[in-house]
Amino acid sequence: MIEVRELTKRFGRTVAVDGLTFHVKPGRVTGFLGPNGAGKSTTMRVVLGLDRPSSGEALVGGRRYDRMRHPMREVGALLDAGAVQGGRTPLAHLSWMARANRIGRDRVVSMIEQVGLAGVARKRVAGFSLGMRQRLGIAAALLGDPAVLLLDEPVNGLDPDGVRWIRELLRGLAAEGRTVLLSSHLMSEMELTADHLVIIGRGRLIADTPMRELTAVRDVLVRSSRADDLAAALSAAGGTVAAEDGGGLSVRGLDPKEIGELAARHAIPLHEVTPRGASLEETYMRLTGGGAGR
Amino acid sequence: MIDALAAEWLKLRTLRSTCVVLGVIGVVVALMALLAWYAVRLWEGLPPGQRDRLEVSSLPELANWLASLSLAVLGVLACSGEYATGMIRTTFTVLPSRGRVLAAKAGVVAVVAFCTGLAAVLATWAAGRLIIGDRVIRGQSAEALSRQMPLFLALSLSVAMFALLGLCLAVITRSAVAAIAALVAVWYVLPIIVNNVPAPWNERIGSVLPGALAGQLAGTGNPQSLGGELLSPLAALAVMVAWVAVPYALAAVLLARRDA
Repeated sequence: MIEVRELTKRFGRTVAVDGLTFHVKPGRVTGFLGPNGAGKSTTMRVVLGLDRPSSGEALVGGRRYDRMRHPMREVGALLDAGAVQGGRTPLAHLSWMARANRIGRDRVVSMIEQVGLAGVARKRVAGFSLGMRQRLGIAAALLGDPAVLLLDEPVNGLDPDGVRWIRELLRGLAAEGRTVLLSSHLMSEMELTADHLVIIGRGRLIADTPMRELTAVRDVLVRSSRADDLAAALSAAGGTVAAEDGGGLSVRGLDPKEIGELAARHAIPLHEVTPRGASLEETYMRLTGGGAGR
Repeated sequence: MIDALAAEWLKLRTLRSTCVVLGVIGVVVALMALLAWYAVRLWEGLPPGQRDRLEVSSLPELANWLASLSLAVLGVLACSGEYATGMIRTTFTVLPSRGRVLAAKAGVVAVVAFCTGLAAVLATWAAGRLIIGDRVIRGQSAEALSRQMPLFLALSLSVAMFALLGLCLAVITRSAVAAIAALVAVWYVLPIIVNNVPAPWNERIGSVLPGALAGQLAGTGNPQSLGGELLSPLAALAVMVAWVAVPYALAAVLLARRDA
């Protein structure tokens, strides 16, 4: 459980986060969305005790992060996978973290295997691709077997296999009852991974809502050889019908089952009945005003 | 605190710069041995009556002077690299108590610097004894090791002081370039400037410069250095502590206040 309460963070005269309040609940993947400069990374840094809030607070499991003795066992974080000193090996990089949080050596070795870096465990990180660094960052985040995870753009630089791996990993972790907060710019990926969304813009909350409400069925596309008759019948049954450019009908207020039954009663042939939802990308663009942050 | 110390030790040990700096110390000792051999050649080339005109700077002190800068740079790199890569944020998410991180870094750097400094001085002394033998060359002490040990320990302590100064400057400036420039100023430029200040201020200021403190702490003075020798051993120790404590306090305050 992550609680952000009335959080405000100013950098000089710039307000990066402005009275932001939201909760991230366990057992689901919460996507954290917003245009560049919306305050996502700042919010994550405040949650992790890296930036001091100007006012308000951010708590993890009811406590401030910087009061935790062994934080890696409670919260796993991946902020910037590039932030690794190149001279170290994955083994050395994870070992000092494990030592600082009293995590066993076995766990270091098993995490390296789990993220698929066993073959390069003793190679210097300097030669790693961004994808390999992301895997190392994930290993660090999961090292302490934490109940809460914060990941900032974890799929950047990953190949399709890696993207799929992260998606399944995060969904699995949430299914185990963990709290997962994930930020990403990739809408299609977010749509597949997240159950719930927190959308911010200019440091303020825009939406805090389940994914299925944002992508709920908007209308049904219907095609028929007797479109005019069908339109009349649908209107009579209480539907709102609009002609589409491609010759089909956009129907609101009736679901596919009702439309099918109605067409059968009037003996009107149907060529297509497709329920259509807004994509996350469309909804996001509408909510954030076209994507421009400022 | 033990966990933080162990973690910082692992970090320092696996930092590439550490190997480089320790390699430089090895080169310094080899250079000192070469100097000893060259001094012996010169000494033997002189007619016996003129041999006492040849004076060579004390090789262990010269080695210490170079080790001071090398380990001060190590002190800088123990922290500046984390700022350069952004890993400092990882460090503070792993160990959220910043005061504890600074203390652990300081502890590890101080011990490594003291041990390396002592090893450099002792190795230089041993090489010098082997090469010079029982020849009497001015500037090279022929006294027993037990008589010289107080000076050697004081010199090693000053290496630790320089290393901690480097670490604190790196935390304060968050930049390797700025911190190393400041260090070189204190280590080399400041003594030259102070030497040209009118008396008696040249000696007064020279006595509290970091490079002049080890000799005063051991009570042997600074026969060949630019510094003064006005301080009692206890006063020299106090000034040495101040050269660390003041920057350390500033670093701790900045670290606690700043966003990482």
